[in-house]
Amino acid sequence: MRYSRFGVLALLVVAAIVLPYAVGRYTIHVIDVTIIFAILAIGMGLAMGISGQINLAQIAFFGLGSYVTAILTVQEGWGFWTASVLAILATVAVGLLVSTPALRVQSHYLGIVTLGLALAFTNWLTNTELTGGAEGISGIPVPSLPGADLSSEYLYYYLEILAFAVLLTFGQFVVRTPLGRRLRAMRDDPLAAGAMGAEVPMLRMTAFALSSVYGGLAGVLYAGLIRYVAPETFSIANMFLLLAMVIIGGRQSLVGCVVGAVGLSLVREWLVDYPTYAQIAYGSVVVLTVLFAPTGLAGLPERIRGVYRRRRPASASRAVLRPFQPYDDAGERAAAAAPALEVDGISKNFRGLTALDEVTLSVPTGEIRGIVGPNGSGKTTLFNVISGFYKPTGGDVRIDGRTLTGASSYRLAQAGVARTFQNLRLFPAMTVRENVLVALDRTRTRSIWRYAVWQPGVWLHDRALRREADAILERFGLADFAGALPPALPYGIQRRVEIARAMARSPRLLLLDEPAAGLNGDEVRQLGEIVRSIRDSGVTVVLIEHNMGLVMSLCEHVTVLAGGRIIADGTPGEVATAPQVIEAYLGDSMDDVLPAEKEVRS
Amino acid sequence: MQVFVQTLVGGISLGAIYALVAMGFSLVYRTMGLVNFAHGNVVMIGAYLASTFYLSVRLPFALAMIVAIAVTGLIGVIIERVLRPLENKDFDLMLIGTIGFGIVLDALAILIWGATGRAVPSPVRSAPLDLLGIRVRTYDLVVLAVAAAATVLLVLFLQRTKRGAAMQAVAMDHEAATAVGIHVGRSNAIAFVIGAGLAALAGGLVGPLLYVSPSMGGALGIKGFAGAILGGFGSIPGAIVGGIAIGVLDSFAAGHFQGYSELVTFIVFAVLITVRPTGIFGEKTVNRA
Repeated sequence: MRYSRFGVLALLVVAAIVLPYAVGRYTIHVIDVTIIFAILAIGMGLAMGISGQINLAQIAFFGLGSYVTAILTVQEGWGFWTASVLAILATVAVGLLVSTPALRVQSHYLGIVTLGLALAFTNWLTNTELTGGAEGISGIPVPSLPGADLSSEYLYYYLEILAFAVLLTFGQFVVRTPLGRRLRAMRDDPLAAGAMGAEVPMLRMTAFALSSVYGGLAGVLYAGLIRYVAPETFSIANMFLLLAMVIIGGRQSLVGCVVGAVGLSLVREWLVDYPTYAQIAYGSVVVLTVLFAPTGLAGLPERIRGVYRRRRPASASRAVLRPFQPYDDAGERAAAAAPALEVDGISKNFRGLTALDEVTLSVPTGEIRGIVGPNGSGKTTLFNVISGFYKPTGGDVRIDGRTLTGASSYRLAQAGVARTFQNLRLFPAMTVRENVLVALDRTRTRSIWRYAVWQPGVWLHDRALRREADAILERFGLADFAGALPPALPYGIQRRVEIARAMARSPRLLLLDEPAAGLNGDEVRQLGEIVRSIRDSGVTVVLIEHNMGLVMSLCEHVTVLAGGRIIADGTPGEVATAPQVIEAYLGDSMDDVLPAEKEVRS
Repeated sequence: MQVFVQTLVGGISLGAIYALVAMGFSLVYRTMGLVNFAHGNVVMIGAYLASTFYLSVRLPFALAMIVAIAVTGLIGVIIERVLRPLENKDFDLMLIGTIGFGIVLDALAILIWGATGRAVPSPVRSAPLDLLGIRVRTYDLVVLAVAAAATVLLVLFLQRTKRGAAMQAVAMDHEAATAVGIHVGRSNAIAFVIGAGLAALAGGLVGPLLYVSPSMGGALGIKGFAGAILGGFGSIPGAIVGGIAIGVLDSFAAGHFQGYSELVTFIVFAVLITVRPTGIFGEKTVNRA
């Protein structure tokens, strides 16, 4: 498999080198333009497919790269290469500016905002004198390169293909290393990504910055190739053509984006005399793609393999969930100065509805705390406040004595809070190993400068993370499922993956939201063992649970919530017999039904 | 002052058309959670159909409009039918699917009517009215009246008819609606037909105001969409207020910045949406963990 892939790659390189010898002048021109679109499509794929940011302004980034190059060379008399550097910097600056709406809005809102900004860009191009209006700018000088005359489109091809190879490799490198995993985690589930320490706002800006680098570079190459720029190249129609390339090729795979760009460019060339029919054709193919092959051409091999596998189920070595291997006991530890978690008078209102009302509790380090209460009593809301999803209306949250009230979820994650979710929030399009890898990475987003400067450092860091991930999967008995996608796994295994992922953060405080929901008796027993071992390793555990048997046997201390208030607090034995707890669970109407009970109580 | 009021009236009239477009967006969105990026292209088709029946077939303007609404309604049914498998599932894919439809509709328009546009004469030929020293085009008043009538009819339909109530129910919870026996598919199809009809109405009305061309759908659709979002996506009153706001913004931007009006409009829109993503009447959504 590895060798064959290497062989294909070698073949492609050879083909790319000899290609110009086999084609005529017009064909090489078409190929040169195609490569530029392929670079654009990679940038678009990085924003849309990898990071989930609907960026319909990619064509404007492309235009900006071209126009800045054109203006600086033609009107200011700069050299082509100095102009191109400034063009790319300018594009990235604008890309960051365009990304600010993404911090607040997503999905279709972001689509319409970016599309609007793309329209604004063409509007500016056609009106300002600086860009020569609808006429555009002509007479861009030939980029100079010692020993090569780049006015020849054959030689220009080599420049382009080299740039393309570097950019595709870099894109793939990003996708497969920590930054790309975080971007994909953010695409799959921004909330869970935040809880795993991913700085979502920074990552969204990074996604736009990445796609603007590709857009700007494509623009520079275009200016050097055509040596003339005009507004219609950067129209909304071409934006949609670019979108079609990315969708048909497969937005979640950079190679897919390239295939889409090449394929659609060739079809368009083939139908060059019938552009309207070509437009109908690719529009229809986009519709068919979203309906029948949402992963595009890139996803087809996997789908075909899936059909083949279903026909002939694998009989050999079935994957099994292995037993959990306990953590080393941290032993008796000196009592910490501050409790692991202090919740001080927390209130939370949702438009008049009080979900939490002055809740105060304190969990000492190394305790297993149970939080129980009827449905709707505010347990999950409390978790959401502690882990930074909700800003409380009043009160304070302290982690290890540090006040972190209203901090964002990634800051809390970085401060040592990890959590699981009531309704499972694994990243569905990432493998189990990748889910754990996202959580393992404790570097801050600002350390991505290393991607630009020192890639081997990134690679070594990634290798170290992968070793750690394998150790964690091994410990949780999940090694057999490392390569599986979470939605394909049984529910009980998904629950365990979520705990493994939370523990990959090496938290100080672990919040488990109904970890036993949907588990069978044996799985609940294993869960009890896992939680105990986690506590013994020195982690404080707070769990919300409806399974009273588990709560009674596992927790040292139980807090009971009802109607957003704490109604009881004590050892499991104490709270189980507290009358207000019985009333909260069974309702006061029980008093009328069971008068005898009432007498006993009074 | 006079210029100000005149610009304002022109903006409101244009805004009424954006409001019609925005209502179509919002109606479809709230009923089935679909953002129809082809909506602007449907407006363009509506404009062409209305102008064709008015100019070439020589139907009266009102009748030409009704024919246009019927035909675009049919287009709406087709789009809904084709994209039905994605309803309530993958948002982004559905959005891209409608962009695909938009691409096809644009190409079809070029095939049928050619790439160059046409000017449509105003169906109302009387001189501009003079109200307290302010000149108001009579056609602007016609646009306002028709838009207002369409809005009232839509609201009556949604609030007073059984079918309308069913659509409201689907908007709130499509699963619960299915459980009480509402045919969700039919309800969605009706939403789409009404949305397309509103688009055709907007297109027919805008014909005499702007130049009818295959590329007119892009700007109209995006501005209508912007209006819907500005008002609060999914809200009918929001669509009206937001649409008119965009129209007025557009009109003043054109007055002050001439050619750069689109640039100004979209930058202001981007800033507003960044500051207040929920729009004027939109509800704050809470992420549930």
